[in-house]
Formats: sequence, structure tokens, C-alpha cells
Amino acid sequence: MTAIRITGGAIHDPANEVDGDVRDLCLQDGKVVADVGPEARRIDARGMVVMPGGVDIHAHIAGPKVNAARRLSPDDRRHDPLDRTEVLRSGTGGLVPSTFATGYRYSLLGYTTVVEAAAPPLAARHVLAELRDTPMIDKAFLILMGNNQVLFELIRESGGAVSSRLCDAIAWWLEATGGFGVKLVNPGGVELWKQSNGHVDSIDDHIAGFEVTPRQVLEAIGGAVDELGLPHPVHIHANNLGETGNADTTLETMRTLSGRQAHFAHLQFHCYGGKPGGQPRSRAPELLEHLSAHPEITADVGQVMFGPAMTMTADAHVSELLRDLTRGKWINHDTEVETGCGIVPYTYRSGNYVHALQWGIGLELFLLGKDPWQVMLSTDHPNGGSFLSYPKLIRLLMDRAFREDQMGRANQKAIRRTALADGLDREYTLNEIAIISRAAPARRLGLRDKGHLGIGADADVTIYHDRPDREEMFSTPRYVIKAGELAVEDGDLRRADDGVLLSGAAAFDPDVTGVLAPLFGERYTVAFEHYPVHDTALREPARIVEAST
Amino acid sequence: MTEIGPVTCAGCALVCDDVLIEHSGDDVRLQPRCDLGERWFSERVRRERAPGAMIEGRPVDVDAALARAAELLRGARRPLVHGFDDATVEDARAAVALADRLGALVATEGLGGTWPGAAAVALRGASTATLGEIRDRSRVVVIWREDPETTHPRLLDRLGFGDRSNSRLGADRTLVVVDDRDTATAGRADLHLRWPRERDLEALTGLHVLQRKLPLRTGDPGSELDGLLERIDAVPHVAFVHGPALTVGEGGQRRALALHELVRALSHDRHVVTLALPSAAGTRSSQDVLAWQTGYAENVDLASGHPELVAARELIDEGVDVSLCIEGDSHELGEGVRQIALGSRPMERVEVSIRTAAAGVAAAGTAHRLDGVPLALQAPLPGDAPTAAVLLARLLEELAG
Repeated sequence: MTAIRITGGAIHDPANEVDGDVRDLCLQDGKVVADVGPEARRIDARGMVVMPGGVDIHAHIAGPKVNAARRLSPDDRRHDPLDRTEVLRSGTGGLVPSTFATGYRYSLLGYTTVVEAAAPPLAARHVLAELRDTPMIDKAFLILMGNNQVLFELIRESGGAVSSRLCDAIAWWLEATGGFGVKLVNPGGVELWKQSNGHVDSIDDHIAGFEVTPRQVLEAIGGAVDELGLPHPVHIHANNLGETGNADTTLETMRTLSGRQAHFAHLQFHCYGGKPGGQPRSRAPELLEHLSAHPEITADVGQVMFGPAMTMTADAHVSELLRDLTRGKWINHDTEVETGCGIVPYTYRSGNYVHALQWGIGLELFLLGKDPWQVMLSTDHPNGGSFLSYPKLIRLLMDRAFREDQMGRANQKAIRRTALADGLDREYTLNEIAIISRAAPARRLGLRDKGHLGIGADADVTIYHDRPDREEMFSTPRYVIKAGELAVEDGDLRRADDGVLLSGAAAFDPDVTGVLAPLFGERYTVAFEHYPVHDTALREPARIVEAST
Repeated sequence: MTEIGPVTCAGCALVCDDVLIEHSGDDVRLQPRCDLGERWFSERVRRERAPGAMIEGRPVDVDAALARAAELLRGARRPLVHGFDDATVEDARAAVALADRLGALVATEGLGGTWPGAAAVALRGASTATLGEIRDRSRVVVIWREDPETTHPRLLDRLGFGDRSNSRLGADRTLVVVDDRDTATAGRADLHLRWPRERDLEALTGLHVLQRKLPLRTGDPGSELDGLLERIDAVPHVAFVHGPALTVGEGGQRRALALHELVRALSHDRHVVTLALPSAAGTRSSQDVLAWQTGYAENVDLASGHPELVAARELIDEGVDVSLCIEGDSHELGEGVRQIALGSRPMERVEVSIRTAAAGVAAAGTAHRLDGVPLALQAPLPGDAPTAAVLLARLLEELAG
């Protein structure tokens, strides 16, 4: 493997409390090392900014939902082809790029690790195959468990408490699928949607047919993930996403998990005040206050960016609402026992009150939050906008004048109802950007080798020209080094490596299969013995991240 | 007889994974019984005795056949990669990789255009579900002009209409067949609505109009279809099963679109899903792979250096000079088209053929069931041929070298 010495760059490594220090960084055998020999390749980074490779904690890049979105939107890709080269595969871009294009473009943006945030466990083989065809980045996926009928049965048996059987079942599921962590999407609500277009109003609603409530699902599965000590805490897409007044549900969900580690996905979509059916307003400050008092909770923002997006979610009820709003294309797909899926192409318009409010709430979360380690960067790609809009989002955070210019173009009634109108003058520093886009996501994912540049860290490094236009700067890194090899130089991909699969694991009693098998037999149309994915071609190369207990 | 299993049968797009095999010589018996599956297994067992490779009808070793195939592909001006009926996900991944290198046309929907319904999905979308959802939630299942008893023999059982106790809903469900033929499926229906094929579009759009409570311009398919809409209105969950019989031929895309529009309209007041019935196990698998690798499903032209979505017939009418058929049936192609075939099916009219290990019989792999559920295929029976994926990787290596 190559040895590299990066010289003269300003290093931003907040996990190791390094804030712009100019010093050499040495890489060898895929790791950050203290020193390298004189034969090492030298990269002159004078006048440049050196950060760990980006880590996206919440995006949708692979699996049946993403692929259905590709099939729904051929018109979105015709204008954005990628030609094959001697080393690269061809592909198409757009809001939902083909797999190869996804890997290449994340890499070109300086990202080296990405989490697919919502995969049906039943589709694990499909997800894994797509991730195998997504080069350049290390990748992980979270498995959907918030509407799993088998887990509902176990939760009902335990009266809603965390049980060893439930813990074993969750650990078995991760082992069976290669998943990294556990995702809850609209717990209980998706099951009601699939029954007959029902939905959850409160987390104490009963889930018909199962004698459990969303609160019990949150407590039991959230508690089990906490007890198992999985590298990443339970990852929650709360009930009532996008609905006016949903901040009450979000706060109640946070209180339910109080004292337990939890990550809230795309918090922006869950911060709305107002009366149901009425005009929403921002309650971001209240939610941030709660976060401030509860360091065990983190969130990613799910910033919306004005322009086209592709909404895709396991929360299919939300897609029904968007379908009726847009009257456009719509996909619904129900996966037995486990989850649902909805897809609707969508456009966020700066002149629209609700869209501008969503935009403003996202920025409030970033700018009013006291601790950047708690509130991380995401657009919930491609729900709030493509990951390719991250550089523009970074500029909004770092450049007050640019932000105010953009605010001036948005619906003023909405902007006046956010704290942005109060003249928020905060501008993110490079170190804060490094926190929200790599250090904090890596730490929250439990990836000890990522998101920092200390000795022993993965040699995933991004080097930027220090340009005053932060959008331009973060759009085109000068160099991207992945696993110690130069992957991108001046906007060109130099190689096409596979990257590894990151899987989470915890010990479990193998006898749990004796409990699960009959429940599978009653509910699935797939044989229990064929459900686990053992194929090494799909699951390797992998890095297993063990539970901490 | 030796009993093996449970294993996954790739004999049709249903890809049942609960199958026990009894095997003696060429004779294969399946439990649960399935004539189609038994024929499928038996044919592939018999094929194990066929030559491993042939050039112009003469047996050769595999290396020689691969070398000739590479030579043909290297010299091709307009290569076509097609077939995929029995292709696994692994085969399709390797095939699209090779096609990308060659700048080839890729056709996954059959050169006869047998499955054009998917194009309607790109226009408006669709509501779909896995088999278990339909089995355990749909009170009314409408099969529109398909005869799965023949094409997907275990479908009705797997949707809970065999032993009615295998649905969580019990027996309180209605199976409706819309078809003017006396098919085996119609024979099992609770309600057989006779309706001529040429009036399918009229029926689907008419039901849509009625559902919206708008006046009909002509006829009344609602009453002619014996209160189908009322039956649907009375239940919280409905499924429509459809396939090539609705979507094939002129106007197929329009009919598919009409079905999805009807489902969308009905979905406002209840949960409604559809289930499409492609005939071959490899169709869904290869289209899924093509979609994730190129961004487009069905048919893609890679000649310009990047993927472009194209219609099927364009493919063979535009100067194809070399075709590579992967796990499919060989076709009559234009005069002068030199044909290569890699597959476990009998291959005729081809210049170079290499027999592969049939996935699910003598080779493991992955298949995507017609509802998209990915399933492992096992290798329950012996065989020494390579898979198409292995051969394609060797071809790619040869061409890249």
C-alpha cells in the first residue's frame, strides 16, 4: 500500500481538538501513522484545508426503494449521463443516481463513508448487491424494525418491556442481514397504513391486531438497542413526519427515550408547531432546548434545499399526502411483516410558505444549536435535496451574507416566523463544519476509526483549497484519499475501489431461532432457513463493528 | 428417490423457496406439487448431458468457445446482450458489466416485447406489495386476464386461496377473475367476470370514471362487470393481479396506465395494491440490476459511452451484428447476425454456445421474486458447468486484456 505524507496543510480534526494547525499528516497501509519514510509520496497541501473524509449518517442510496425511484424517474437522468472510462463504469446521475455514479460522486465530494438509512431486512440481499456496486465509499445500512410484526409479538409478550428475547431477536436480525443498526420509522404507523390507510395520531394509539402502542415499540426496541450496546443507537424517524403540530409527538418521543441513547433522523421534518390541518410554524428552538438538556440524544437535520427532490420513505402514509398534494407520480410498496415504502418526486419552492419555513427551520437547527456534536449535517438525501447540495448548505452555514441573500429570495412570511429574521449572525467555522459532516456522525455511528485523523484512524482524508467561496471549496476537493490511496485529484477519479461493508454485531442466544422460526412460518412467504444472507460475495469485504457490552 | 430441501425453484417468476425435491435420474418430483417446476428441473437435469460448448454445432472445449466468443465480441460494431429469462442477479451484474465495456445494447424484456407494462410505471408510478401482504390483507383479489394456474401454478395457494386457512384472514375473501376464457384460474374463482380483451381499456377507464362518480360517455362496465366496484368498495384492502395478457401488444402501455390510474383512484378510500406477473424468474432480477447499474430498467443502449433508455424493437432493427444471449431462448435475428449463447436452455441457430450450470439446480445464486423479494437459489443437484456469471467475467477479462 502507498505511504503518503501530506505537508503544510491546515488540519481540522475536531475529534482530536486540532483546529487548523499546520502540520504534516502521514498515512500508511490504510491508516494514519505517526511518520512515514522518505520514499513516501508527498502531497503539498500548503494553503489547503485537511479534514477527515466525510461521513453521511443518513442518506438513501441503495435497495428496492431507491431502485424503484430510479425506475420512476428516467426523465430525471437523461440530462446527466456519466461516461465509462478505462477505470470507471458508466452511469447516470440526477436525484437518484445509479450505483456507480453514487459512489463516484460521493467520493468527488470528499465523502468516504455513507449510511443507507432505511432498508427492509427482507430485502437485505438486494441492498447488499447494490452496495457492492457502489464503489469508492465504505457503506452501512440500517434495518427497519419499527413495524415488524414478529417484534410486535415479542413486545406484546413482554408487556412492552425490554426482554432478553427481544434483544436476541434484534441481534439475530443484524447478523442475518449484515445490517449496521436499527431504524424505527413511524413506529406502528406503517402497519396501520398497510392495513387500510390508517395512521398514528399519538404514540399511545393502539396498533390494531397487536395490542402494542408506538410508545411501547420505542421503549422496547430503543431500550434493547441501548442494552445490546450496538455501535449506533436506535435511529428514529418519529411518528407524524411533516404534519403541522408534530413537535408535540417528537418531544414526547424524546421523553419516552429519555436516559437512553437515541438518534433522531431529519429533525427538521419533525419540528412543526400549529394546529393540525393549519399553517405550521417553527418549534425548532424548543426541540433544541430539549436536546441541550439531553446529551444522550443526537439528530441530523434533513435540510431541505430549494429545487427538485425525490421523497422516498418507509413512512408510506406521508407519500400518500404528497401524492395528493402534487397529483404527480407515486409509488407505494408494502413489504410483508416489516415495512412499507412510498416515493413521490417533489419540488421545494422558495416562494412557498411551507417550503420556505422548512428551509428556515433546518437553518435554525444548525444555527441555534449550541453543540454541533449533537446536530449533524444531512438533507436526508434525496428527500430534502441531493447530497450534491451539501456544499451549498455548508456555504449557507458559513457565509452570513450569502444566507441573507438567499433568505431574501424566500417567502418572507415564513422567514419572519423563524429565528432567521432576528438577524442570526452565526457563521460556522471550518472546525464546526468538520464536526457536523464527519467527526460527529462517525462518533455517533460508533466508528472509532473514522471521522478523525489521530494515529490509527482510517486513512480517509479530504483536502480542499481554502477558497472564500465555501460552496466552490466543498464542491471540488483538491484531493480525496480513501483507505490510504489517492482516489480523487483535482476533480478526477483516479481509481475505483470497492470500499467495505460496515456491519454491526452483538452476541445473542442462538436458541432465539426456535422462537423466531414459528413466527416466521406464520407471517412470511419466505422460508426461515433461507432468510439469512450468508453469501460471502455480498457480505465481504466487511468490517464488523461489535457491540460495546 | 433422494429427497432434498427445502430449496428454491426458479421455474417461474414466483420463485418458491419451500420446495422439497425428489430426484432419481432425470426424473424430478417436487413437493408441493408443481408440474411446471418439475418440467423445469427435469429439463435442466437432462441438459447436463449436452456438450459443454459448441462452435457451429460441433462440440469444443469451453476455452475454445470462449475464445471465439471474445473474438466475435471484440470485432462487433453493434453488439446486443439479451435473454435473461433464467439469469440470476449475479449473471445480470456480470452481463451489464460486459455490456458497458462493449458499448452494447442490453434488452431484458424479451426481443418480442413481452413485458412492456413497466413503462407505465415510469409515467405515473404504481402501488405494489409482496405476496404475504396480499395473502394476509386483501379481502378481494382481482386477477385480470392472467391464468396463473398455468403460468405460475402455485400463485393462488401462495396468495391464500388454496387452503383458505393459510391466509390470516381465513376464508372470508373473494377471488375475482376478469377473463372471457374458461381458464384453470377462472375455474377456481369465486366470481368469473367474462369480459372481452379488446374492451379492457374501456373497462379500466370506465371503472375509474364510475369511482369518481362522473357520468360515463359510453356503456356501463360497472354493471356489466357485475358490481365489481361495489365489491371493492365494501372492503378495506384489495389487490389486482395483472401481466402480459393486459399489457402486451398495441395499446399495452395505455392499458397498464389505466390499471394504475384506477388503483390510484381507488386507493383514496382503501388500501389497493397490484402484483405483476412476468413469466420468467430472471426478468425481475435482470431489470433490477440494470436499473441500479445504469439508472434505467428494461432496455438500455450503452453505445454512446453511457446508458440511454431505448425501446425494445429499436434494438434489433438498428444494425446489430453480434448478439450475446444470456440464459434465454435464442431468437431469429436479422440476417448476418452472429450469435453467441451462454445458458442452460437448448440453444439453436447460434454460432457459439456454452452450456451453463442452471441456477437453482446445479448452481447457487440470487433471484428476485416477481414482487421484488430477493431469494437465494441453491444448487441441490450435481453439475460441472460454470455459471453464466463466471463465463461473463472471463469474457470481460479477455476483452479488457
